[in-house]
Amino acid sequence: MSESQYKEENATGAGEQDVYNESFVPYVNKWGRRTNVLAVLLSLGPAVALLAVFGILPPRAAIVGAVASVAITFGWAWFIEPLSYYPVLGIPGTYMAFLSGNISNLRLPCAAAAQEASDVETGTPQASIISTVAIAASIFVNTAVLGIGSVALVSAFQALPELWRNALESYLVPAVFGAIFAQFGRDYPRVAGIGFSIALAMTLLLELGYLAFLPSYPLYAVIIVSVFGTTLIARWMWQHDMISPPDEANE
Amino acid sequence: MMWPELVPLVPAYMDIANSRWLWLSTVPVVLVVLLQATIFLRRAWNDGKEMGLSEQKLKTGFKTGIISAIGPSIAVLAGMLALIATVGGPVAWMRLTVIGSVAFELPAAELGVSQFGYSLGDEGITETAYATAVWAMTLGGTGWLLVSAFGTRHMETVRTKISNGNETLIPIISAAAMLGAFAYFLSGEITAGTPETGSVAVGGLAMLGLLHLADSRDVQWLREWALGAAMLVGLLAGVALRVTVGSWW
Repeated sequence: MSESQYKEENATGAGEQDVYNESFVPYVNKWGRRTNVLAVLLSLGPAVALLAVFGILPPRAAIVGAVASVAITFGWAWFIEPLSYYPVLGIPGTYMAFLSGNISNLRLPCAAAAQEASDVETGTPQASIISTVAIAASIFVNTAVLGIGSVALVSAFQALPELWRNALESYLVPAVFGAIFAQFGRDYPRVAGIGFSIALAMTLLLELGYLAFLPSYPLYAVIIVSVFGTTLIARWMWQHDMISPPDEANE
Repeated sequence: MMWPELVPLVPAYMDIANSRWLWLSTVPVVLVVLLQATIFLRRAWNDGKEMGLSEQKLKTGFKTGIISAIGPSIAVLAGMLALIATVGGPVAWMRLTVIGSVAFELPAAELGVSQFGYSLGDEGITETAYATAVWAMTLGGTGWLLVSAFGTRHMETVRTKISNGNETLIPIISAAAMLGAFAYFLSGEITAGTPETGSVAVGGLAMLGLLHLADSRDVQWLREWALGAAMLVGLLAGVALRVTVGSWW
């Protein structure tokens, strides 16, 4: 991918913005909302089957108690995660990723790697299109692997030595995190250093119990401060001419 | 069904949890996810072309999505074993194919059975306690769906506010948000132990090396395979550290 080709695509800005904002985004908003709401209803499938076929319905107090506990533990994430990942996922990616799950370990890395491979700039309409394509691809792969896996591979997995089973569960995801962080850090090394320092400091504060003054388990404080802290510092650095997008820098 | 013989101690509710009815009940929601992916993909492809994205770039995006998804999907499958053993095949498959992740579903199921004083893996878990776990996962997972369904349209306002409507700032804001989010993810891994830290570091260095090579020699396929290769190298580094030095913290 040559620089000139890239510039050319950016130069035709107005027309492509129109297609994106006036055709693509309204379509995605319309169908994203419908499909996600439909999924809310259909996700009740197993619970309804337990009731309708087997006549099993837990007492209302147990359901309320369980859902309240889940809401206390994860309720912050319902709002913080979509907001925090939105800049990377884009509009269609947000509908798709929160419907299909496995966001940090699967959807975000796929979207990010595809943006790098297709050489589009994060946050632009082009990047949003590429994210959509990559996340769709990841959904097909993930559904197939888990479908085949849950029928055929589970026994093969259980035959694996424990070391390798643990390794897949424990070490693949950190490697993905390191790789994606490095990919973005390449373009903005100083922002990467700052973001990493903030997140590590916040995580250590959390683990050592210094955030205990906050309500519930304050993991939400770590993610809010990491994401928005890094964003605001990056904005400040940009305003003071300390960083610029990679294509402008061109050292 | 085939699950009971795979799980050493089979709680009584497992017959129901692995029944054909439960498998059937999971199919519609998975179909909706595939449907959404298909219609968004078609639209993105067509509108992307009109926006001046070349067919080749779109194909690269699709290919990279596929290559990068294989490793993590297998890792999810490994994590799914724990969920299969506790809530049965169909629910585990549905929750991890769509909507959730192991990090949410296991605690949610645990909170469900805990309403009756059980813990996942206990022998005497009743059918009612199991059903409560299913309800907890289902209703707890709708939070993300509802926020994304009704909130996504308004999120652009937040980003516009942070960037003050300044176009050139948007890529920086987006990359910074990504760096912040992944810094948060990898801090969790680094505090987990030495092998995890090794995986993070080696995965990162491998990615830097591969992308540098891809850029300097202009090798397109290397860009598509970079994440897949980096995650494999990082995985091996984690295993190597684990069998040699173990974990220092």
